[in-house]
Amino acid sequence: MKRRTFVKNGVLFSSSILLARPNRAQANPDTAAAVIQVKGESPYEITKRAVAEIGGMGKIISRGDVVMVKPNIGWNRTVEQAACTNPEVLRALIELAFNAGAKKVVVMDNTCHKAEDCYQRSGIEAMARELGADVRYCDESRLVAHDFKGEYLAKWPVFKDYLEVDKFINVPILKHHGSAGLTIAMKNLYGILGGNRGKLHRDMGENIAELAGGFRSHLVVVDAYRILLRNGPVGGRLSDVEMRKTVIASTHIMHADVAAAVLFGKDPRQVEFLQAAHKKKMGEIDIAKIQVKLLTV
Amino acid sequence: MDAKTGKRLQRLRISSQFFFTWLFFFLLLKSGGAAIEHLPQTGFFFYIDPLFLWVNILAGPFLQVFLLALIPLIMTMVFGRFFCGWVCPFGALNQFFTWLGSRRQRKKIAVSRSSLRLKYLLLIILLVASLFASQLLGWLDPFALLTRSSSVALVPGANFLAQHALQSGAQNQGWVGKIIKPLYDFSRRFLLTVRQRTFLQAAAIGLIFFGLLLLNLYRRRFFCNSLCPLGAVYGFVAKYSLLRLPLNENCTNCGACSNHCTYYGSPFQDYLKSECVLCLNCLNDCPFAAIDVRFQLPRSGKRPALDMGRRKILAAAGCGLAAAALPQIGVNKKAKAHDFIRPPGAVAEKEFLKKCVRCGACLQACPTNAIQPAVFQAGLEGIWTPVLIPVNGYCEYECVRCTRVCPTHALMPLTLEEKKQFKIGTAVINRSTCYTYADGYNCAVCEEHCPVPEKAIRFREVEVYNFRGKLKKVKQIYVVPDLCIGCGICENVCPRTDAPAITVGAEEEQRENSF
Repeated sequence: MKRRTFVKNGVLFSSSILLARPNRAQANPDTAAAVIQVKGESPYEITKRAVAEIGGMGKIISRGDVVMVKPNIGWNRTVEQAACTNPEVLRALIELAFNAGAKKVVVMDNTCHKAEDCYQRSGIEAMARELGADVRYCDESRLVAHDFKGEYLAKWPVFKDYLEVDKFINVPILKHHGSAGLTIAMKNLYGILGGNRGKLHRDMGENIAELAGGFRSHLVVVDAYRILLRNGPVGGRLSDVEMRKTVIASTHIMHADVAAAVLFGKDPRQVEFLQAAHKKKMGEIDIAKIQVKLLTV
Repeated sequence: MDAKTGKRLQRLRISSQFFFTWLFFFLLLKSGGAAIEHLPQTGFFFYIDPLFLWVNILAGPFLQVFLLALIPLIMTMVFGRFFCGWVCPFGALNQFFTWLGSRRQRKKIAVSRSSLRLKYLLLIILLVASLFASQLLGWLDPFALLTRSSSVALVPGANFLAQHALQSGAQNQGWVGKIIKPLYDFSRRFLLTVRQRTFLQAAAIGLIFFGLLLLNLYRRRFFCNSLCPLGAVYGFVAKYSLLRLPLNENCTNCGACSNHCTYYGSPFQDYLKSECVLCLNCLNDCPFAAIDVRFQLPRSGKRPALDMGRRKILAAAGCGLAAAALPQIGVNKKAKAHDFIRPPGAVAEKEFLKKCVRCGACLQACPTNAIQPAVFQAGLEGIWTPVLIPVNGYCEYECVRCTRVCPTHALMPLTLEEKKQFKIGTAVINRSTCYTYADGYNCAVCEEHCPVPEKAIRFREVEVYNFRGKLKKVKQIYVVPDLCIGCGICENVCPRTDAPAITVGAEEEQRENSF
C-alpha cells in the first residue's frame, strides 16, 4: 500500500467514525427523572420555561450536535383539531436547540395520511423551514433494520435519519387513541418506524413499551396545549378538543407519559403500554412517586 | 412569399406550439399539487374542444363554458386547421417526434389517401356510437388521450426514473454525490412525489401513448393525419376555409415544398385544405418564393378534396352502431351488483358513462393515488373511467380535487362540506380474516384511521376463546353503516398482507343504481 493511499484511507475511516455516531444508547440512565409541568397562555412561552426548568437545552445538547425534533405530524389536520403537535411548541424547541449550538435540526415523521398534506396542513413544515430546520420526508430507501431487543418487538425497519442523529427530542401531542387508550411520547415513536406498522397493533402495549425501551429520547416535551379527548388519534371535530394550555417536559419518557396520562384524567395503571413499561421496570407508574413540578407562567 | 418570412412564420408557429404544450402540462401538474382553493382552470383544453361540446350537448345539463369551443371552430373557417398546427399540445408532441425522425423521410412517400381518410371514418363511428349512450370519443380525442397518458404513464414514469437516477447519484460518496445530493434534495422537495404513484394499466396506456409517438418516425404526424377525430372535425370545416396557399409564376415544379409537409401533400403536388395544418414548412422550403398566403372565398365548382365514398361512410356508421350496441348487452349491464366504487360526486352510472370522457384529469388530481382507470370492472364501455381502488389509496376526507377538475361534471363539483357527507360506498368487515374475530388479537388500525368524527368504525370489548382455547378480552371491530362514507382508508391501512379484512363496496352508494 502506498503511503498516500494509507493516509487517505486513514482519514476517510476515522472521519466516517466521527461523522456517523449512531444513537445507540439504551433505556433511560436518568435517575432524577423529574417532570416539569407548565401552564400558561402562550404555547411558545410555556415550552421555553419548561426546558429552562429542566436545566436548559444546553444540558441536553452539546455544541455541534445534529438534533432530531420528532413531532406527531401523523394527520392531515389543522392546529385547532389537535391531531398534530402544536407548531409553536416546536418553534420554541427548534430555537432553543439552535441557540444551544445544534449544527442541524431535523424535523421528520412517518405520517398516516399523505405526507405532503400532513406537513403542510399542520403548519409544521412552514414553521420549521422558516427557522432553518431540515424538514425531511420519509424516504423508504433509507429504511434499515433496527434491533429493539424486545420480547415482542425485535428487529423492525427504522428510517436511518433517526439513527444518525446525536440527540432525539420527542415532541408528541397528548391525545385520545382508540386502541392504545392514549397516545403520548412512547407511542409517538411509532413515527420512526417503517414497514407494516399496523401489525404492531397486536399486543400494542408491549410493543410500545419495548419501542421506547429500545430507542432513547434525550428529551420529551408533551404538547398538551390542546388535547383531543375523544375519537382519536385522527379526530377532526372541534367539540372533541379541549384547551389545557400545558406542556410537560422530562428527560424520562415514561414519567412524562405518566404525568400526561394523569393530566388527561386517566389512571396510568389503566393504560396498557404504561402497565407494560412498568413491568419492564422502565419507571414508576404511580404519580405520587414521581417528582412533578407544577408551574404557571 | 420569400423564405425569410417563411422562416419567421415557422418560428412563430413553433413558439406557439411550445407555449400551449407548456400551458397544458402546467395546468395538468398543478391540478395534483395546488391547494384546493387555488386549483387552476385545468379544463381549459377540454372547453375549447368541439367534440366535448358535442358530448355536453348530448349528456346535458348544458355547461355554457363549452361554448368556448365555438371559437376555434369559427377561426378554422377563416384559417383552416391552424389549431392542429399551432395550438394542439399533442399535435406539437407528434410534430416534435416527426422532426426527430425527419432524416429518414427525405425520400418522398406518396400520399396515402386511405390513411388520411381513416380519421373521418373513425369520427363517424364515434359520433354515431355517442348517440346511443356509448361515449367513446375520449379514447381518441387528443386532449383526453394526452391527459390520460400523462397522468397514468408519462408523469409517474418520469418521476420513477428521476427518483431512481438522482437517488443512486446522491448516495455516491465521491464528487458525483456532492453535485447530485442538492439536486436530489431540491427535486424531492419541489418536483418528485414522496411516494411513487402507481396505476392500473400504466403499461398498457403508456405503450399506446409511446407507440403513437413512435409511429411518427414511420409516417409524419401519424396520429394527426390518420386517427385524430378532432382533426377530422377541423378538417371538415377547413375544406371551406378562406386561407389558401396558391402558387405563383416563380414555381419551377421542383417539389421542395413537400420535403417537410406534414401530410406529404404540399401546395405543389396535391393541395388538400382539409389536411393542411398550416405548419408553413413549405414557405421555408421553397427556394423561389413561389408560394403565397392569401385569403380567398372558396370558389364554386370542383375543389381538390378527399373522396370519402358513400360505401365507406355507411360502413363506418354501421360500425358505430355495433360499438354502441355491443357493450350495452354485456352481462354486467343486467347485474344489480357491481364490484367497483366511483369517486365522490359521481352521477348515476348511466349518466356517468355518457358524461365521462375518460380524460383521466381526476387520476392526476387525486392526491392519494386512489382513483384509477377501470379495466373491465365497469364493463366494456367503462374502460378507463375512474374507479376508486382503496388498496392503492384512500379518498382523503379533506379533499374535493377530483370533483373540481372534472371538465364535464361526470363528477359533480362538491364543496368540502358536501363531500364529507357524500357516500361513495360502505365498508364491510370480513370476519373470517379480521384479526379481532379470526385470531382473537387486538388490532383497530381501521378504527384509528376512520376520518368520520363520530367514527363509523368502532369496537366493543368481548370475551372470546382464541385459537389456543384461552378466554381473552378482545376489542372486536364493527362498522356503523349509516355513518360510513366509503372513503376506503380502512381498507387501505388494514395490516393483513394477503387481502384486507375490511373492504369498501358500492353498497348504499349515494347515487342512482341505474345501468
